[in-house]
Amino acid sequence: MPNKILKKRKHKGIALDASEKFVTGLAYVLMTIFALIAILPCLHVVSKAFSKGTYVAQGAVWFWPRGFQLETIRYILFETQFFTALKNTLIVTIVGTFISVVVSISTAYPLSKPSFRGRRPVTLLYVFSMVFFGGIVPAYMVVQMLGILDTYAALILPFAIVQFNMFIVKNYFEGLPETIEESARIDGAGDLRILVSIVCPMSTPVIATVTLLYAINYWNNYFHAMMYTQSTSMKTLQVYLYDLINSGAGFLENLTSGGLTTSSLSSNITAEGLTAAAVTLSIIPIIALYPLVQRFLIKGITIGSVKG
Amino acid sequence: MKQPPANALASRNAGTASPLTRKCLSMANYFRQHWVLYAMLIPGLFFLFVYKLLPLWGLQIAFKDYKMFAAETPWKAITESAWVGFKHFRKLFGSSQFAKVLRNTLVINFLKILWLFPIPILCAILLNEIRCRIYQKLCQTMIYVPYFFSWVLIFGIFYSLLGSYGIVNSLISALGGERINFFGDQGVFRSILVFTEGWKEVGYNTVIYLAAITGIDPTLYEAAKMDGANKFQQILNITLPGLLPTIVLMLIMKVGYILTTGFEQVLVFYNPSVYDVADIIETYVYRIGLGQADFSLATALGLFNAVVAFVLIVGANTVSKKTLGRSIW
Repeated sequence: MPNKILKKRKHKGIALDASEKFVTGLAYVLMTIFALIAILPCLHVVSKAFSKGTYVAQGAVWFWPRGFQLETIRYILFETQFFTALKNTLIVTIVGTFISVVVSISTAYPLSKPSFRGRRPVTLLYVFSMVFFGGIVPAYMVVQMLGILDTYAALILPFAIVQFNMFIVKNYFEGLPETIEESARIDGAGDLRILVSIVCPMSTPVIATVTLLYAINYWNNYFHAMMYTQSTSMKTLQVYLYDLINSGAGFLENLTSGGLTTSSLSSNITAEGLTAAAVTLSIIPIIALYPLVQRFLIKGITIGSVKG
Repeated sequence: MKQPPANALASRNAGTASPLTRKCLSMANYFRQHWVLYAMLIPGLFFLFVYKLLPLWGLQIAFKDYKMFAAETPWKAITESAWVGFKHFRKLFGSSQFAKVLRNTLVINFLKILWLFPIPILCAILLNEIRCRIYQKLCQTMIYVPYFFSWVLIFGIFYSLLGSYGIVNSLISALGGERINFFGDQGVFRSILVFTEGWKEVGYNTVIYLAAITGIDPTLYEAAKMDGANKFQQILNITLPGLLPTIVLMLIMKVGYILTTGFEQVLVFYNPSVYDVADIIETYVYRIGLGQADFSLATALGLFNAVVAFVLIVGANTVSKKTLGRSIW
């Protein structure tokens, strides 16, 4: 390294070496702090889920379980609607994502072709609907009018197309080389054939990204799920979780008054602990899929943001 | 327009016809050739019309006294209800509630921009300085995780952290302070909104800036080093200017969406004791509309919000196009 030369050539101010050391040091310290801020709250809630009820009630659990127990988790899993909610969320996420991705690709492809007649008005329609949102009440009225309130359809169809995601796909398609398509056309392939067997295989990164964006959208959807469903059996994971957090104490009271005596309920079951356990169980699927998902999303951000 | 060879005959025949007919004929030809492309648009357009454009028809109740039972179905009642002009808007703009929710929306989102906007830029610059690849990835991964959590989940996590049995209150009381009811205290509630927003979003925005930093030409740094620039000078004179387009774009977008962000977060976090400082336009629309069934008033407020947001977003996009040559769509 030409460090010696540099030292001779530096004029005023802080030396390169010193400034580099300072910035690197600062980077390690600050980023460690930020990483801890991101992770410690999660660790806290997970620790509570596995800690003895007495410690939880004293507020004596920090970032590691104290007096390890699994009763709270078991209780959430088998004595509450957790699995029903999980099933609903899984159905909505899987079916919804599939529909959304297919529809987005099939819309993005014609709109990505510069020679497609009618491209401008249709694109404008999508842009307009993206920036002008009619509001909660009219959206609700449409769902009500269609008679799909309290069904899976209400949790899927209104969100089937997210214009922004469709535009990500369209932008990606526009960047693909025309020549491959042209040669396929000369070989007699039709539009559908070209899309399915040439364009899609070339677009796996963007399709993976958009699939994940849609899946997250369905999985995390709380407000609409709450608004469009009423029955307990239709609760999604987010609605179930919110209700549990908000009624933690009351929830426990209901249990004890409903035939169960306090003594038959383990001392490990506390309102705090139950909330923590439900939160923990909802974090697990995200963390489990995270390593797989993160790669595509980082790619996707770059794809989405590098639009000319 | 390239004419496919199969159409050569048709277009030659069309050559004798008037320009308009010729245009129609070639359009018909194009359609026959590429009807599959049009068919592909159908499912998307179906969802667009039913779920994004049909609601716009319902907006008319903002100018009507909507009576849900005026016809056989609530939907038909939209057309049956009587026009009242700007009655609901007058009522709205005259109410103190409106001023309050508008102020809350602006203040909360302004505070978020003020406190949170610079953090991801700093994070990206610092992450880039961490030479140990594994540690860099580890930090990035950890700050990015909360982005995938729903607001309900984040509420659960912070409820556990800040609640009466959470460590924050344990710590405060151990230090001899008064326990704080974080979710019921008007003084700290907005800070919770700002902090949790940052907790969720900083990682995601950092990745965007990090991607922009990797796009900066490394020879610039080499040259600067040769000229004896220290690390601060390099960051100030190379990294920041290199990031500037991204920074400007992000800021424009943040301002453009100032009326429409944060709804689900507030809806999940707030409760009646903090309505005064936390109630924003959309949560208010939700409460008066679906809670109190005052559909017309709620739609009027929703429409007002939609129009102003529309102007802001289109304005933001125009600014972005003019200054950076980049459009959001």
